[in-house]
Amino acid sequence: MSDQQPLGNFTELDAPTYEDVLQCMRCGFCLPTCPTFALTGRERSSPRGRVALARAVAEGKLDFNQAMKDEAFFCLDCRACTTACPSGVKAGEVMEVCRAQVHQQLPAPKWQGTLRNLVLKRMVPNPALMETSMLPARLYQKLGIQWLVRNSKILKLGPTWIDKAEGMLPELHRPLRPQLPDISPAKGEKRGTVAFFLGCVMTLLYPEVSRQTVKVLNHQGFDVITPKEQKCCGAPHLTEGDRETTREIAAFNLDLFLDLDIDAIVTDCAGCGAALKEYEEILAERKDLERLRLFHEKIKDISEFLCEQGIRTEALKQVDKSVTYHEPCHLCHAQGISKQPRELIQAIPGVEFREMKEASWCCGSAATFSLKFTDASQEILDRKLENVRQTGAEILVTGNPGCHLQLAWGLQQAQMPQPVLHITELLGLATPD
Amino acid sequence: MIAQSAMQQLEQALGKEKLVTAKEDLLVLGYDSTPGLHATPDLVVYPTSTDDVVKVVEVARDHNLPLTPRGSATGLSGGSIPINGGIVICLNKMNRILEIDEENLTATCEPGVVTLDLFNAVAEKGLFYPPDPGSQKISTLAGNVMEDAGGLRGLKYGVTRDYVMALACVLADGSLIATGGKSVKDVAGYAFKDLLIGSEGTLGIITEITVKLIPPPQTKQTFLAYFDNIRTAGEAVSKIIAAKIIPSTMEIMDKATINCVEDYVGIGLPRQMAALLLIEVDGHPAVVAEEAEALKEILEQVGAAEVHQAKDAQDAMKLAEARRTALSALARVSPTTLLEDATVPRSKLADTFTLIEQLTEKYQLTVGTFGHAGDGNLHPTVLCDERNEDEMKRAHAFYDELYEQVLAWGGTVSGEHGIGIAKKGYLAKQIGPGGVAVMRRVKSAFDPQGIMNPGKIFVSEQE
Repeated sequence: MSDQQPLGNFTELDAPTYEDVLQCMRCGFCLPTCPTFALTGRERSSPRGRVALARAVAEGKLDFNQAMKDEAFFCLDCRACTTACPSGVKAGEVMEVCRAQVHQQLPAPKWQGTLRNLVLKRMVPNPALMETSMLPARLYQKLGIQWLVRNSKILKLGPTWIDKAEGMLPELHRPLRPQLPDISPAKGEKRGTVAFFLGCVMTLLYPEVSRQTVKVLNHQGFDVITPKEQKCCGAPHLTEGDRETTREIAAFNLDLFLDLDIDAIVTDCAGCGAALKEYEEILAERKDLERLRLFHEKIKDISEFLCEQGIRTEALKQVDKSVTYHEPCHLCHAQGISKQPRELIQAIPGVEFREMKEASWCCGSAATFSLKFTDASQEILDRKLENVRQTGAEILVTGNPGCHLQLAWGLQQAQMPQPVLHITELLGLATPD
Repeated sequence: MIAQSAMQQLEQALGKEKLVTAKEDLLVLGYDSTPGLHATPDLVVYPTSTDDVVKVVEVARDHNLPLTPRGSATGLSGGSIPINGGIVICLNKMNRILEIDEENLTATCEPGVVTLDLFNAVAEKGLFYPPDPGSQKISTLAGNVMEDAGGLRGLKYGVTRDYVMALACVLADGSLIATGGKSVKDVAGYAFKDLLIGSEGTLGIITEITVKLIPPPQTKQTFLAYFDNIRTAGEAVSKIIAAKIIPSTMEIMDKATINCVEDYVGIGLPRQMAALLLIEVDGHPAVVAEEAEALKEILEQVGAAEVHQAKDAQDAMKLAEARRTALSALARVSPTTLLEDATVPRSKLADTFTLIEQLTEKYQLTVGTFGHAGDGNLHPTVLCDERNEDEMKRAHAFYDELYEQVLAWGGTVSGEHGIGIAKKGYLAKQIGPGGVAVMRRVKSAFDPQGIMNPGKIFVSEQE
């Protein structure tokens, strides 16, 4: 999205193009799909309003100012507006690019910048460092400190986000990446070989979920290769506006995975899948277009992949449960994968599927949004929980760790009985060991 | 600029939280869906009651400030754009459905109720509110009334005007007017209600609307007919009407539109065909069956290349979806989408298509035409780039020439989008200086100061 000449009041590097904003015909079809507009009723906090502001910056009528910064980060980047837009405007992406402008034009105080660089540039791209950094958190749970902290209510004294972050933390197990064998062999008649893209949040916070993903893939007849050198997908950097680090990581992952002899690259994290599918755009000026196309073709979300291949149901066990499904934004809006998870759920013998209202409405997690805007996030979450409640289903299924954290926390706070399961956990229940 | 005293008065009357003054907010509250039009208001207010609206009007009156009402700003002629600055009054937060009266079959709403929300609320009670403008998911009822919005069901069920039973408005002097009621008949004096409908906010500000509801049709049948020649499609429309069949929907798409739609959704539409008609008949099952048979016969006689009947509701929905994506699909092709609203007597439909083809050729433009064929209401859409000055000039010349002929055929320059800012010149041609003069006198009877949405519909004497 960068041009040679700076566009209006945008800086040269990582700016929207004029076409990106000109394409909006202001029909307003995005308005009823936007969670932040529903919350505030404020035009500038709607996709149409945000694109109009970006256009004003592009036309030199508005400085890239605090309001632009606020909107760039208040946007959930849920992409519901992209799905709704008749003329193909990508308001979420425009705001994502504007986040990169924030760091160029309105830099944070030095200590914040240093901390941000430490986390984004040093820690996140280094899987071993990330795993070590989780050790204190695991000890915190194992040694009973968590119990002490929660019962002492000491966190109520700090900012709300710390309390929420602590509350969201699931029970931690050892990270999965070092544990998985290089190749997990297929069971039964072999149908192919896939590489597993294991997201950071999955390996660190949900290792047992991704273990189920491998189990399901093996049972469905696929060898699973897990390259240990793989790095973060780069999504956190995109959402925080550090596009350069994304490009570095992306280039590394691209070469790593394309060198393997595989039929597909599978991920069980919707956020990673969406980012990986965007490599084609992010690396357009850095890498061979043919290789980018090839990489894009191979990236598959787990439910997309299993549906394409056709799921083998004959050996599946009965799961007598009613199930509802929350669509992760980065699956349905960013990747257009909507039917497939429902097909998989309904393929499991015994499962009764119950559609919820507004299944594709954001849950309010949205990367760090749930911690930055705790009140707004809570209101969006409440709307989701009410829709879950109305189904009366016994299990809530989703397919993205961000949603998973937020929903599990919300259900617990609201004292609702449903467990949250990743789709491969549900399939895992039906899959014999 | 607004005087400090006016601002203070408003703050006192409404409270600070209902006023918007930040530059970034004002910047995004001065557009609608009309290409190329934008203005910045000096102040925006969000009233939450009739009382609030009265107070805003009083301040505007006392300080002689232009006052422009706005709903969701999905209009297509610039009606809600504050071209003279002043105050924009956003009615979105007055969005309660006050009553659904099942004895009288009416619904009473605040102005900011979203059209589809009303449709869904009455559907839950087994009732039907037919007007379905393209923007129904977000358009507001008062906006629909002020623009007299149409939609896909216009042919059989009529447009917004046909459903409005009563209105409550605040006039420019701050007084309230209630006109119409739940009585089916009402000939008491001048029909102010009918004057206010379609007045584009130039006569008053709506604070309450009562609409008529009807029982929904029991069943429907959907057809898709393809044509080798767009004239034949036009003839088919006239023949169907002449056979005294009134479908609930009769929509057309030309070749350019078919191809754009196919590029976008890929549902197997025939790219080589010159046009397609989407036809829906609804009502009592026996009548629907009879009309469906007659319809097929006519389409065959006229020489449709292919006729497909939807097998079931799902199949029908797929076909309707194809039509609903028409504008979407066209809009993706170019940065700027000029959507027009020419409407002719249905017998002139075939000639209009020929004319559009000739003018497209003459002005070297990319044009996709679709629309409500059954109403003679077409949306010839020029796909262009507003940065290309020459292309924009040719696009306007295209419309000028088209409208000239449309008027010669006894058509109208706007079927359902309104005049607003965009078509003042065309309206003057349609109704002449005498017509404009009467409109001005009506306007000044309601609004002698000229503060209500000035600069819309006709050129004011000052301009």
